[in-house]
Amino acid sequence: MSELISRRGLLAGSALLLASTALPAIGRAQTPKKGGRLIVAADSEPRNLNPAIVASNGVFFISSKVVETLAEASFDGKDGLQPRLALSWEGAADGLSVTFKLRDGVKWHDGKPFSSADVAFSALQIWKPLQNLGRTVFKDLVAVDTPDELTAVFKFAKPTPFQLIRNALPALTSVVPKHVYENGKIEENPANNAPVGTGPFKFAEYKAGQYYRLARNDDYWGKEEPYLDEIIYQVLPDRTSAAAALEAEEIQLAAFSAVPLADLDRISKVPGLKVVTKGYEGLTYQLVVEINHRRKELADLKVRQAIAHAIDKDFVVKTIFLGYAATATGPVPKNDPQFYTAEVPTYAFDVAKANALLDEAGYKRADDGRRFALKLLPAPYFNETKQFGDYLRQALAAIGIDAQIVNNDSAAHIKAVYTDHAFDLAVGPPVFRGDPAISTTILVQSGIPDGVPFSNQGGYKNADLDALIAKASETLDTATRTGLYKEFQKKVAADLPLINVAEWSFISVARDTVGNIANNPRWAVSNWADTYLES
Amino acid sequence: MRQLRRFFRTPETVAGAAILVLLVAMALAAPLLFPRDPQAIAGPALLPPFQDWSLPLGTDRLGRDVLAELFHGARTSLAVGLAAAAAALLIGAAVGTLAGFAGGVIDEVLMRVTDAFQTVPSFLLALAFVSIVGPSLGVVVAAIALGAWTGPARVARAEVLSICERDYVAGARVIGMHPLEIAFREVLPNALPPVLALSSVIVAAAILTEAALSFLGLGDPNRVTWGDMIAEGRAVLRTAPYLSIFPGIALVLTVLGVYLAGEGVVESTAVRRSLS
Repeated sequence: MSELISRRGLLAGSALLLASTALPAIGRAQTPKKGGRLIVAADSEPRNLNPAIVASNGVFFISSKVVETLAEASFDGKDGLQPRLALSWEGAADGLSVTFKLRDGVKWHDGKPFSSADVAFSALQIWKPLQNLGRTVFKDLVAVDTPDELTAVFKFAKPTPFQLIRNALPALTSVVPKHVYENGKIEENPANNAPVGTGPFKFAEYKAGQYYRLARNDDYWGKEEPYLDEIIYQVLPDRTSAAAALEAEEIQLAAFSAVPLADLDRISKVPGLKVVTKGYEGLTYQLVVEINHRRKELADLKVRQAIAHAIDKDFVVKTIFLGYAATATGPVPKNDPQFYTAEVPTYAFDVAKANALLDEAGYKRADDGRRFALKLLPAPYFNETKQFGDYLRQALAAIGIDAQIVNNDSAAHIKAVYTDHAFDLAVGPPVFRGDPAISTTILVQSGIPDGVPFSNQGGYKNADLDALIAKASETLDTATRTGLYKEFQKKVAADLPLINVAEWSFISVARDTVGNIANNPRWAVSNWADTYLES
Repeated sequence: MRQLRRFFRTPETVAGAAILVLLVAMALAAPLLFPRDPQAIAGPALLPPFQDWSLPLGTDRLGRDVLAELFHGARTSLAVGLAAAAAALLIGAAVGTLAGFAGGVIDEVLMRVTDAFQTVPSFLLALAFVSIVGPSLGVVVAAIALGAWTGPARVARAEVLSICERDYVAGARVIGMHPLEIAFREVLPNALPPVLALSSVIVAAAILTEAALSFLGLGDPNRVTWGDMIAEGRAVLRTAPYLSIFPGIALVLTVLGVYLAGEGVVESTAVRRSLS
């Protein structure tokens, strides 16, 4: 039973309780009403809104309503997918091609018809050369054939697993119009700031520091959809203000945990508001201790094991995440339905054992009780990563490691860790995107150039693991490929190139009147065509 | 003795002095009363105050003892306040004396530099300095001193200009003392009292600036600071307001205490001067 629940993506035990309070509200949502303006809290203002170039949740949150992908994630669809711009997709047995049948009668927001040429252009000119994630997944894509207006055939130079392409569809395949982008430099196109797409909402206006406004697309291909007339993203950079704005009915929805976790207990009791933990199953963040293996102490497996034993994962989940998270066992999160395996070496919280391991490694405590000092850089993006940094410092003090915290802003942190390697330990929140090959293997693989963010910049090199990753990337058979990634998890958990501590997702708080929310695993970053407001 | 009595004449200065004494006692006693690392996890998270007498002011989001943090935070606040003020007075007095005593081009250059520093808001200067160099206690002190030395420099210069005309300075010149020796051994000590009168304002401002920097996440992360405590408490302001209120009260009282006591000192010395 508990296994089943975790597979459904409900994180941790206490999420169960919350889900049970949220369910009646979801179950009541039956007949969608048309019209209305949905006001949503936005905590950041991405400058580039082109999801084909910047595949990140901050961009998707706004532009996924404007620019659509070939397919979206789904709770019950085949392979966890539902059609969007593509109606079907099929991989060739040799892994050298994938054929997409596209939706008929789709129009761009400027009235021009959508066709396979747009898909070919987006794939070859943007996803492969420019997109942060597409660079890896589509690296062997050489051509996209368009035998007719509604067929696109992706051709690969090397066998590419169909499973990987499928898993990449929801996040990596935003299709943008060829006729808007074909002239001039793609990165400098004005449409990057005012996207043109096929989605249920048109980009209407942006007032810096105030709001983004999306307006209903009357020509949308979904018959009745969208239900809403307008979506306003109200910029509220201060995390404490979202809860107050919800209570004052100034906004109707705060996604991505804009309401601090510590406030959820109180806010769940406010009449008219619901706390929803569903709808983020496809967006799992991992709390990870990144390790600089250039430090001789940290290059010693015993020291890394000692650090793993020193961290009380249950405390982290219970105190820092207030139960809205799950403890991690390895590089694939527990809620992943395809790849996760629990059969990996684990590190129970055991300070005595950690101390013994450090003694064994030859790092005896000096007279002041310290063994050695480390520089610890917690990522500043989330409250939780910063708090975990404070916790880790204490956990390390208990085993005689003196960690000195260095705080940086986002840009300086990325430079310090991923370019300058000026860290010993760092706390990072990488994202698991449904397939280890998209953004997970890069965290341990060697040979990545300096400066690539969210990759192995700790100088870790393990020929065994590199070979395994290379093999999995060209294995076509789904079962064999999945098996290889289970092996990958075991090896990572055994050798600890990094330490996975917890995995968490986000919470939405909405007014009861907002219907059809959280109905797919990437809901917050999906197109919201069927979202509606009860009057 | 009479001066001391004069100092304690007004209730404001008595209150200020009492707060300061309490604060210094807190700072000195912190390592004795709370020998453990104040950032160590001491109990369950978010324990409300006045529930458990081993943790009288409760705990924060990680379960750290708020009272221990307050005591150790007093150390940081006072250390930064005093060190920054001392540095600012030292730089200011040196620059002001040099400018006033040397005159001419040196005076012009030094005063234009002072102008340049004065036109930039001192908090902005501190913010920029810390974010470039990286937050640590020494850097924070330097950053605050960087914006605070201009006031003392101007006062010192004005004072030096008037003292330079006195007979004993002329006398020192006649017996062949080195100009720098005259400036720093004869002139500066006599120019100091009005400069020192600025110290209470500078200390109070330094404590506030340090708290603001910490609040913005630019304090030394390996030390407890009141500003950082307020910032951390802000995330749970609705559910655990005490986490921001206690350090907030401490901060207000400290600044008030420093200011009142400083005023008292200035007034009592002013009275003495006018009497003499």
